Amino acid sequence: MGKIVGIDLGTTNSLVAYTDPQTGQPKCIQGPYGSTLCPSVVSLDVDGTIVVGEAARRRLLTQPERTIYSVKRLMGRGPADVQTELKLFPFRIDSSSKNVIRVKLGEKVFTPPEISAFILRELKNWAEAHFGETVDRAVITVPAYFNDAQRQATKDAGKIGGLEVLRLVNEPTAAALAYGLHEKQRGKVAVYDLGGGTFDISVLKLISTTEGDIFQVLSTNGDTHLGGDDIDNLLQAFVHELILQHDEIDFSPHGELAQELRKALIDVKHRLSEAESATLRFPLPNGDVFTHEFTRGAFEALIRPVVDRTMGPVKQALADAQLKPTDMDEVVLVGGATRTPLIRRTVQEFFGRKPHIELNPDEVVALGAAVQANILDQGVKTMLLLDVTPLSLGIETYGGAVAKIIPRNSTIPASAQELYTTGVDNQTGIDIHVLQGERELAKDCRSLARFTLRVPPAPAGLPRIEVKFLIDANGILQVGAKDLRTGEQHSIEVQPSYGINDSEIERMLEESIEYAEQDFAERQVIEARTESESILTATAKALANPQSAGLSAEERAKIDASVAALRESVTGSDYKLIRKRIDELNHATEHLAELLMNSAVSTALEGRKLAEV
Amino acid sequence: MAALGSAKDPSPDCFAIFGLPRKLWIEMAALEQKFLKLSWKLHPDNFVSGTETERELSLKRSSELNDAYRTLRDPVGRIEYLLAIEGARKEGEHKQQAPPELLEEVFELNESLDELREARASGGDLAALKTRLESAEKSFQEKLGEVDAQLQAAAREWDAALQSDAATRKRVMAKLNDLLNRRSYIRNLVANVQKELL
Repeated sequence: MGKIVGIDLGTTNSLVAYTDPQTGQPKCIQGPYGSTLCPSVVSLDVDGTIVVGEAARRRLLTQPERTIYSVKRLMGRGPADVQTELKLFPFRIDSSSKNVIRVKLGEKVFTPPEISAFILRELKNWAEAHFGETVDRAVITVPAYFNDAQRQATKDAGKIGGLEVLRLVNEPTAAALAYGLHEKQRGKVAVYDLGGGTFDISVLKLISTTEGDIFQVLSTNGDTHLGGDDIDNLLQAFVHELILQHDEIDFSPHGELAQELRKALIDVKHRLSEAESATLRFPLPNGDVFTHEFTRGAFEALIRPVVDRTMGPVKQALADAQLKPTDMDEVVLVGGATRTPLIRRTVQEFFGRKPHIELNPDEVVALGAAVQANILDQGVKTMLLLDVTPLSLGIETYGGAVAKIIPRNSTIPASAQELYTTGVDNQTGIDIHVLQGERELAKDCRSLARFTLRVPPAPAGLPRIEVKFLIDANGILQVGAKDLRTGEQHSIEVQPSYGINDSEIERMLEESIEYAEQDFAERQVIEARTESESILTATAKALANPQSAGLSAEERAKIDASVAALRESVTGSDYKLIRKRIDELNHATEHLAELLMNSAVSTALEGRKLAEV
Repeated sequence: MAALGSAKDPSPDCFAIFGLPRKLWIEMAALEQKFLKLSWKLHPDNFVSGTETERELSLKRSSELNDAYRTLRDPVGRIEYLLAIEGARKEGEHKQQAPPELLEEVFELNESLDELREARASGGDLAALKTRLESAEKSFQEKLGEVDAQLQAAAREWDAALQSDAATRKRVMAKLNDLLNRRSYIRNLVANVQKELL
């Protein structure tokens, strides 16, 4: 058996972590670019290979029609569900999409689980490069508020990516696990988790028993389509409007320029977490540079609607746990978006207590997944997670109403039995429609599955079929039926409303292996070489420019040495060394890059690398 | 794994899972302790690398444990469940006839609700109607409190009659059943009014 890892499959970034057998502490694994964050971006190269992560993120600007980000927003959803999403995100949905969405990347078509599987496979590669061993099993985290279809889609992605998914763990619960291990916290804990595209709030009770620590989730709530992305969308819409008014440039919201602007705005957003004001300088196609100064106050007024939208679920989760904000012993912030000062302040005011931010909010979920992976792998009986189902499970009854059979916030695994009989003589089938959600009418809830219960012919009312609905520890529904007269077990083929069937998964797994055939290390070397070529060319071009006379002799010598070192490293196949040399050359040419730009543009391009100029 | 028992074992009732007699008064702290202890033993996390039989059994036993804890923690759900396993209440039974002594008030309430809907449709004055409905809601809330108190008394009666003859037990069960129906009726009324007042 291979190694086991914990994976945070995020909207914006994904991470992979493991538990260090020596220290017992979880650790995130670095990728080839030296970061633990793998951008959740996938690109199909013109030569048919799949590019994932940082390399794919760069292609968002150069090949947007072959590149996709935020695919998590499409997981487990049908074409009709994502109409709002389509206005805000550059998803190219294929017209062949029926229940399952199919996305176009260049000339090919993929389902969201397949795209997520590419990300998982990339992380698996990172981990295998780190261990020098096979990785074949994983714990993957999902937003606590994910429904059955979204969970199933994530599990499918794991299978397609070549991983046995031992457990899906809810993201806020994973974060609590990481904090619990780190801080030895006890009592009632609220976890506020605002990620790139999803929001969760979970209320937990941490209990010490003689056997070990129990993390019992009391309630959870959230919004699977609310996150840092929405803040970016607000900023982008605001600036689009300003540019339209001042410069009369109306650019298509999903084009290359829009991606450039989005990138620049995310940078402004990050700077505003530290500084009281930040200036956007954005070069326009007409040669002008659009400038706008954001004060933190104006920024906060703009994004307040997003922050306010999180508070409804927070209040509901507390009400469901029958607790008040002041009953919480600890509050934990998770997700990159919680670096925003307005969010920290809002949470602190609501709970009347300073939230924990000691662990890196980007990494904490992956760390928790690694802790759970270790528990499942080693059978470490020092900790136990008791999680809940976020949404009520119901079945459709007469007149399109829904009868709730497993209420939300029930500890999982949870089950319910329903007894069915026939209404007409010799009736051979009973139709059952399973739903998830809190609304009273079936049409307002999420359809999970429809199936027909087969009944042997008999007088009306005589058959007695007991159907068992079971939500497993992953939050995924299983259905079984038993004929009470004969004691016979029926297996039920449940065709999920928004899922992929097993044979399709098999096919996707095979295809995914084909895409992945190129060896990971080999691909890294090729990518690193390509990148070094472009920076070497850019450096040579820059040195030929008269402006380069402004360099000191020392600076010039440093650049020459770095160029030589990079050239030398490219002859070998150590991609980590090549990357290191690239970074060194980038560093050595910082002043050169500045010299090259005229004063107006230079400020706009502050902090850029030479190859990007 | 001895902790899981065998697949052939019949599913125990919620009280039996916790080793409790079929009494309606339950000490919650002790119930929680027992729940946590059993969770350690039965949870699927323990059997990830076990055999398929073990995994299935663990799923079955731990879901039964969680279902039982959910049922017993809820004082009303507990009574409904007890009556169901004692055969005194059919699953899903909710008698929808108004209790006779409430008929007049229910009639008035429904009239007010109709008026409110009409006024809303025709843009009429809502304030007065709302006040009337709010006071009706309050009155029914009080009645709900009374029923809950009566249910508690009847539950104590059941616990005391646990060792009594079948006739006595049957009488207490009938009483509990009536009270549950009454409670469910009033609760629906209150929910309807609250929905209109939103």
